[in-house]
Amino acid sequence: MKILAPIRERDELEMLIASGADEFYCGVTPKEWLERYSGAVWLNRRSPKGSGLDNVQALRSLCDDVHAAGRELFVTLNGPYYTAEQIPLVLRLGQQLSEECGVDALIVSDINLMMRLSEARLHAKLHVSSVAATLNTEAVRFLLNFGPSRVILPRSLRLEEIAGICADVSKDVEIEVFLLNDGCAFEEGFCATTHHHSVGAFCTSLSDMQADFEWYGPRMSSRRERWLRANLDDYRKWIWYLNGNGCGSTAKGLPYGPCGLCALTDLQAMGVASLKVVGREASPFKKLASVKMAHDIVTRVRAKQDKLVVIERARSLRAEPEHCDAGYMCYYKVGA
Amino acid sequence: MEVALHIREAAEARSSMKIGEASGWERSSKLGSWLEAVVRRFGDMPVDRFYLGTEFCENLLPSHEAVRSLAATRLPMTLLTPYVSNSGLRDLRELFQLLPSESEVVFADWGVLQVLRQDFPALVPVQGRLLNKSLRDPRVTGLYAIDGANNPTLDAMRGSNLDNASYANLLARFGVTRVEMDQLPQGNSYDLGSADLIAHVYAPFGFISTARSCLAAGLHYRGADKFQPGALCRHECQTNLLAYSYTNSPFENRDQQFWLKGNTYFYTHTDAMLDQLSAKMESGSVGRLVFQPRVPMVES
Repeated sequence: MKILAPIRERDELEMLIASGADEFYCGVTPKEWLERYSGAVWLNRRSPKGSGLDNVQALRSLCDDVHAAGRELFVTLNGPYYTAEQIPLVLRLGQQLSEECGVDALIVSDINLMMRLSEARLHAKLHVSSVAATLNTEAVRFLLNFGPSRVILPRSLRLEEIAGICADVSKDVEIEVFLLNDGCAFEEGFCATTHHHSVGAFCTSLSDMQADFEWYGPRMSSRRERWLRANLDDYRKWIWYLNGNGCGSTAKGLPYGPCGLCALTDLQAMGVASLKVVGREASPFKKLASVKMAHDIVTRVRAKQDKLVVIERARSLRAEPEHCDAGYMCYYKVGA
Repeated sequence: MEVALHIREAAEARSSMKIGEASGWERSSKLGSWLEAVVRRFGDMPVDRFYLGTEFCENLLPSHEAVRSLAATRLPMTLLTPYVSNSGLRDLRELFQLLPSESEVVFADWGVLQVLRQDFPALVPVQGRLLNKSLRDPRVTGLYAIDGANNPTLDAMRGSNLDNASYANLLARFGVTRVEMDQLPQGNSYDLGSADLIAHVYAPFGFISTARSCLAAGLHYRGADKFQPGALCRHECQTNLLAYSYTNSPFENRDQQFWLKGNTYFYTHTDAMLDQLSAKMESGSVGRLVFQPRVPMVES
């Protein structure tokens, strides 16, 4: 079970390896894409501004360093779709990343791109992005038509659902799951909104909008209105947690945000191959703190420490148990 | 061009029916008069086919009885299916067994297509609008169409992967010749990668976003148990509708509204969007209009 860390530049590499990162992923948006499509149409699932590299040369250098350290580098080409005009540019980029830079895998969502890259028989393997919304075993089997070596499961799957998929297909393909940092109120692959800076994420912007309930029954009593409003308040609180407690951190600088540390014993037993730490765009310090937290718990799980001891340790890391107790900060609900 | 009507139950379906007969089916008073005006606009169109089911929630699959009853009418039918977990996929298999040969199944999940190809080859798979990934963020994407955005940006936003010949070939390999889409706030490209692909377009609701975590289902849970993905529910989504007003818009569109029913957010089509759709229907770009006279989270 490897720790997959986000990376944006070479300067972050050494500290992330020293902190326990086993493999890396990043994004790149070449200048020609930005010039043609502006910042409004993203090549991958993150804004081109500040969340990835801006040229293939820099990526090649990063890749060389990652390989020199005995690790692998994966690159996101996980836009939800590419039009016929865009696809030649993306295919060329994929070819360049694989054959010239030596990238180890391309993370892909669009089925058309997946098929085209699969036909191109590149050296780079294919990873199916969580944006592909692979929610069941048969979806994995469908995707195997295109020869991926790994499928990244969406965050919305419950532990027992991940277990079912792993039991069915983990012999055929690696399974990666989310471990830290980034929540999504919606099913990421079925959210047609943009996170463009001009409007921000739809889910978080909803919390500041005027919201009016309509009851379909005979009348909306004030008691019923209060009941609906209280639930909406809880929903907004839940979204606040998904958004990293308002993008915050503990006094010690450890990141809030969705967390799967308590589930690691279960995830290892299921045969999960890789654990994703989210946040290509995050500061180097947040990446470092996240990987350290992940490594602390993964090391204990690898050493086969008792599950409850592992959970206790995971809950103690941020030293703010009230957030764990709220229950909204967990990727996965863990049974003892 | 064909016309399909999304119904709740077989009793609503009749041969020689027109869309206008669906007037007043939506219970929301907030949407009522707008919907009636839209129904009037399309009212004279005769209905060729009936849609049953949901694209958005595996807790809202139609009952066996609802499917059997519609099948018994022998009217052309299409079953809408959502994205599903393994458990939802098992439930769908049971529904597929009740469908007459040649019935259409709209899939929003590659696992559903896999099951259809493998075990139900007599059913006709249709790629659903959830697998058409065009951005449709009504807060902002429409502004690119009036804001003088450069053409490649706007073209990319109006398009999807459907204009790739390679994708059309891939779909054909999997027996898919029909694809569904929303009318987009920024306008659509109706260019398809093959002349053999047929476009279905929904009106008058477009989907914005959907989730396995449901606001409405949270009503009957406490604290940390709320909003868990895939949680069981009592179909609380059928009791209420939440209207959001875009009061915090950085632009001029602060009167814009979004609608949440259960786990899915929708936008309603503006007159301009309906005008574009009508023009495309007249020009032959649209193979089928799928008309939904209710917010499309319907219990059957």
